[in-house]
Amino acid sequence: MRRRLFDLVFTVVAALAAIGAVTLFLAILAVVVYRGFDALSWRFLVEDMRAAGAEGGIVYQIAGTFILVLTATLTAVPLAAGAGIWLAMYAKEGARRSFESVLHAVNGIPSIVFGLIGFAFFFDLLQWKKSWLAGGLLLALMILPTLVVAFVEKLRSIPRETIDAAFGLGLRRGDVVRTVLLPQGAAGLVTGTLLGIARAAGETAPIMFTAAIFSGATVPRAVADSPVLALPYHIFVLAQDSFDPAMRSGMWGTAAVLVVLVTCVSALAIPLRLKIAQEAARD
Amino acid sequence: MTGVVCLAVAGALLYLAAGSASALRAEGWAFFTTSRWFYRDHEFGAASMLFGSAAVAVLALILAVPVAIAAAVFMSEMCSRRLRVAMKVAVELLAGIPSVVYGLLGVLFLRDWMSRAFERFEVDALSADTLLTAGVLLAIMVLPTIATLADDALQGVPKAAREASRGLGLTRAETISAVVVPRAAPALIGAVLLGFGRAVGETIAVFLVVGRADNRALSLPALFDAGQTLTSKLGGSETNIAVGDPLHTSAMISLGMVLLLVVLAATFAADALRRRIAEVR
Repeated sequence: MRRRLFDLVFTVVAALAAIGAVTLFLAILAVVVYRGFDALSWRFLVEDMRAAGAEGGIVYQIAGTFILVLTATLTAVPLAAGAGIWLAMYAKEGARRSFESVLHAVNGIPSIVFGLIGFAFFFDLLQWKKSWLAGGLLLALMILPTLVVAFVEKLRSIPRETIDAAFGLGLRRGDVVRTVLLPQGAAGLVTGTLLGIARAAGETAPIMFTAAIFSGATVPRAVADSPVLALPYHIFVLAQDSFDPAMRSGMWGTAAVLVVLVTCVSALAIPLRLKIAQEAARD
Repeated sequence: MTGVVCLAVAGALLYLAAGSASALRAEGWAFFTTSRWFYRDHEFGAASMLFGSAAVAVLALILAVPVAIAAAVFMSEMCSRRLRVAMKVAVELLAGIPSVVYGLLGVLFLRDWMSRAFERFEVDALSADTLLTAGVLLAIMVLPTIATLADDALQGVPKAAREASRGLGLTRAETISAVVVPRAAPALIGAVLLGFGRAVGETIAVFLVVGRADNRALSLPALFDAGQTLTSKLGGSETNIAVGDPLHTSAMISLGMVLLLVVLAATFAADALRRRIAEVR
């Protein structure tokens, strides 16, 4: 009897915790979308900001975030593709292990430390001041581990026989990479890229000293001294003036845009990632 | 290409190490033990920031770990595979919500709730921007991270272990508490450590609700008061102000380096622990 009771209580507690976590997600999503809904309109998305965020839209915040994310993705994807192929095909055991440790370390670096180092290197040393390229490159380095890990995991799920068969046909290593690894691993790279995009779009700390300003930037035309506006930084600045009710509409609207964007991209990627992990575990 | 990445990382670490040298030499151990940070007088004692960072992270873990592990147990041990995947997706989406949005929710909701709670319990707090508020917000933020990693840890325990235990007549709850969780313990601790790393390194959300008051006391009641963490200090205007003052810059870099070392230590320890179960399997 007591054992049955323990079983019941245990199950109920665990279920409540899990339901709580899922509810938390749905609640946050609902609150942000509900509050942001009033602010959302076509004009909000295509107009320039006015009155320090109290009026107008967020078109250049969207454009800036797009530029940062695009730069980060275009930089990180080729690096991740190269690193993944190298890890799966060319690297010796020791080199592979140490490079994976480096990747884990990079993945663990707090985002503000990226900001600090980027500030010293791009802003100060290269004299770029605030620049979209600095932000894009920092975000690229930051999301790189995510891309590589997802790509490598997919590569590992390719059956050994497929690769052996390709070698058996007399293909050279480069050909095997081109005809087997890249086509079969592509889904992993795509998954990693989507996860990376979702992460890069929402980060504030790496860009606050290196790339983003609150107002007065449009589309950059140079590298040095060419800041952008960005969605997360916009929310960050407005949140510090949150006592002003006039700011709230634009703040919630921006948050809704960012959350919907990030959640949609992640929602595409996470099921893919879980599926790849399952395939990789099966072998 | 991999060389470029390694070079960039090595360069960054070297920069931090070299940059922090002059402030650490000037202050010595006082950098870690005194809570007097007055940059105009070139006094750099970071103890209250170290205390703040430790306090908010530990608080977050105390609140989040039980719930996260319980949720992971449910996902991994009590669900159909379909339901598990669906819950895991939701939990990972929660983990993916940008920290600035958590910060916004903290500013607009949590702060009000905390100040009402302070009134009810007659806690004497100047405002609701406190270390406690930051800790509670962080708890919500690290909950999904720990939950999904803990679920991975539990999944790493071989099926045969569960079946043997059930075959001996143990109930599901007994199997989980006597067999599955102990077998997964190293990886579970690894999950908690990664959660700790995320909590210590989180900047934006903490920045918005921690109050950012320097040089506060290092005591338990200080939790109910505004404070400062390593990250909220680095995220503030002082990073810009320090430009042109080598010693001040060096002191800021020292904060960054201490933060990085703590987080890296947690990450590597977590990796080692998480790998242990993979090898046992």
